[in-house]
Amino acid sequence: MKLERITIENFRQYYGRQRLAFSRDHQRNVTVIHGVNGAGKTSLFLAINWCLYGEGVSSVGELISKEAASRAQDGETVSTSVELAFLHNDERYLVSRRLTGTKQSDSSVLVNSGEDFTMMRTSQDGQAKRVNNPIGAMNAILPSNVRTYFLFDGEKIDNFAKPEAGDEVRYAIYNVLKLEVLTRGRKHLQDVAAEYRRELKSISTGELRDLIEQEEKARADKESALAQKENLVREIESVRRKTADIDHRLSEMQNASALQQQRERIERELAQRQSEMRQLVSDIRETATSGFTIVAWTAIERALTVLDEKREKGEIPSSIRQQFLQDLIDRMECICGRSFEPDGPEHRRLLELMHNTVPGSLEDDVLATNASLRALDEQRQSLRSDLDKGMRRRVELRERMKALDEELDDVSRQLEGSPQEEISKLEMQRRDFQADIDSYLLQQGSLDSRIETLTKDISQLEKQIERAKKDKNKQRLLARKAALAQRSADAIDEMYQAFADDMRRRIEAKTGEIFKQLIWKSSHFQNIRLGPDYNLQVIDRYDRPARPELSAGERQVLSLSFVTAMSRISEGKAPLVMDTPFGRLSSYHRSSITEHLPELTEQLVLFVTDEELRDQARENLEPRIGAEYRLHFNRETSCTTILKGNDNDRD
Amino acid sequence: MTETELSRSDRVNIDDAVMQIYEDLTKDTNIEQSPFKTYKDVFMFAACLGYRNGSRRQLSSGKKQTIRREVFTENDFSLLKAIAISATRDVDILLHLGDILTIAEEYAHAGIQDLKVHLLGEHGHPLWNLVDLINSTYRRNK
Amino acid sequence: MLRDRLLKLFEEYDQDVRQVIADILALEQEHISMERPRVKEQIKQIIKQVVKNEA
Repeated sequence: MKLERITIENFRQYYGRQRLAFSRDHQRNVTVIHGVNGAGKTSLFLAINWCLYGEGVSSVGELISKEAASRAQDGETVSTSVELAFLHNDERYLVSRRLTGTKQSDSSVLVNSGEDFTMMRTSQDGQAKRVNNPIGAMNAILPSNVRTYFLFDGEKIDNFAKPEAGDEVRYAIYNVLKLEVLTRGRKHLQDVAAEYRRELKSISTGELRDLIEQEEKARADKESALAQKENLVREIESVRRKTADIDHRLSEMQNASALQQQRERIERELAQRQSEMRQLVSDIRETATSGFTIVAWTAIERALTVLDEKREKGEIPSSIRQQFLQDLIDRMECICGRSFEPDGPEHRRLLELMHNTVPGSLEDDVLATNASLRALDEQRQSLRSDLDKGMRRRVELRERMKALDEELDDVSRQLEGSPQEEISKLEMQRRDFQADIDSYLLQQGSLDSRIETLTKDISQLEKQIERAKKDKNKQRLLARKAALAQRSADAIDEMYQAFADDMRRRIEAKTGEIFKQLIWKSSHFQNIRLGPDYNLQVIDRYDRPARPELSAGERQVLSLSFVTAMSRISEGKAPLVMDTPFGRLSSYHRSSITEHLPELTEQLVLFVTDEELRDQARENLEPRIGAEYRLHFNRETSCTTILKGNDNDRD
Repeated sequence: MTETELSRSDRVNIDDAVMQIYEDLTKDTNIEQSPFKTYKDVFMFAACLGYRNGSRRQLSSGKKQTIRREVFTENDFSLLKAIAISATRDVDILLHLGDILTIAEEYAHAGIQDLKVHLLGEHGHPLWNLVDLINSTYRRNK
Repeated sequence: MLRDRLLKLFEEYDQDVRQVIADILALEQEHISMERPRVKEQIKQIIKQVVKNEA
């Protein structure tokens, strides 16, 4: 991240719209902003914080410039905004935050809740686009939880080097070095893995096997039933042949042949009647299922009435003409009342008229509906009579077949009662055969029914098996997801400590390196230690903690070293913005810091009082200063103006 | 017609809840048991019966089966139009095929229950129950 | 820089684990300023994608 420019409007004591450009040069990477105490340094520093994060401001209502508010009319909108342009990863960002309010009659400003926060990103091809998730984007660039290490409040300069500062140091490392990111990642992955496992449990297992077994059994049953049926069919065939044999023999026996022939005649007619009956039932069915016209007859009548009514009322204009013409033709009368001859010129003319009339769709429909409804009437009559006839014929046929059955019985009794034993025996056997066939047919019927049921069952089972297979796939997928989530969580777990330790050592090394650069008196101290308790310690050459021997100033420098080390290690390219960092340092320390600090960061922005930056400190910094400003506070208007340069004389 | 009207007008809906009745009346190979050939035939009868008995019922919002419009004959349509004109007493309904079909659906949704009672609820084969139903209706018409 | 170091940490692990971790870390970073971010659905999406890819 590299700051480009800030545009501040009506923010606290900054009335109107003012702009400040930060130095982006590599060598002259320092921007200095001068101001006496109260001139507005802290406000400007706050503006940066507020713009990026909306935080760090105690009372929101006081943000809007009082001057702007006082100049506004009652009811008028007043607003404050801060816009920050910066570069990050070769892209330019423009972040803007705005707060609006309404001037009240009692001179106060009623602030609207909610601020306007927008972010635009310009990519290398020059296209500027609005960023949909600005908070997420800021989190990826420089998240809010680490801002205090980059937008650094000078008052807190020795926070990290205090003896009790272990927690603060740990918190800083934890957040700046993304340990928090790892921890959250691990926890969430763990939660997700657990969720997948729960879901897995709720899907049934083992069902697939049962279903397949059931299906196999159903198929086997069906096979066996089919085989049984085949046997039956053969049996029936065989018995029929035997019956035919008996028939043959009877027909050759003198005392039986007549009766046998009679029987054969009757059986033929019976077969015929049965066939007739089948056809009849089919015909009746055709007629009956079209019989809905009879059921809904009142609808047809009423509809025709409605159509007629509408026509009479003239609500179907064109059709009146149509109908009128039709009626005319039907009655062969001319409009003037004269009748005309069919096929005569008047008739032809009328026909022509009728055909040339182009009815609208409604009229068309009405006419067509009219016509077809009338046709349905005829249909109804014929349906009715067909049905009647059919049913009567059915009764006739049944009676006839019943009569034929009785005749057959009679013939059989006569044959059985024959004095000739052979005939009698044959007939009795024939009867038995008939009885067998009946029984077989019954069995066959029951088998058919069973086969049908089994077929349905099999089809049902197949569907269930498909579903279960899908479930199984679903299971497998879930298991893989659970495993992956868990392995990832475990991976983070395993590497976390190593990472944390590694980071701690790096910070330790970097802090030591920077500290040594900033402090001349390295002879006193050997190194920095950052123990597992996260306390920053300076150790002497005897490897013992040297800190009680650190002066206040040295402690501050240590703190500064730590912060700078962190900024280097976490994001090599983040700016360091400091609000009066040297206020409490001795000139000695100031001097050494100003000499080295610019090298330790890509971009350095310093808000300083004149006290802080003079003499050697000023001299040290001079070659690195790329931009300089002075904040001029007007005591009469209580407003601050940003002035370029370092011209001191305007006060 | 709007698009929804168009899509609405190319089919007729049957509530899933009554499909079993439709199946029972068509599925058996024995025509005395299942006299109707197609679902459309059942539908026409149900609609007419519903109209006849003056009962009309809105379909539920659940799953539906459909019968496409192409399955219906001109005669079928004439009757459905008659029912629609008769129910609304308005000729303009002829311009709204969608409404005609909706009216038919709702009569069918009520009528199917009557059909079930008459054909499947009585003794005897459904085909002969059907014939009885038609005959008794005709006698009442006179 | 730090991100690279982080990812390097996991280079001994399987490709799919590395992919998941890389995506998850970016996701968590994006939500780092929130106390209790709602990222579960997105995490599930990431896992779903990685599992699909390795199929």
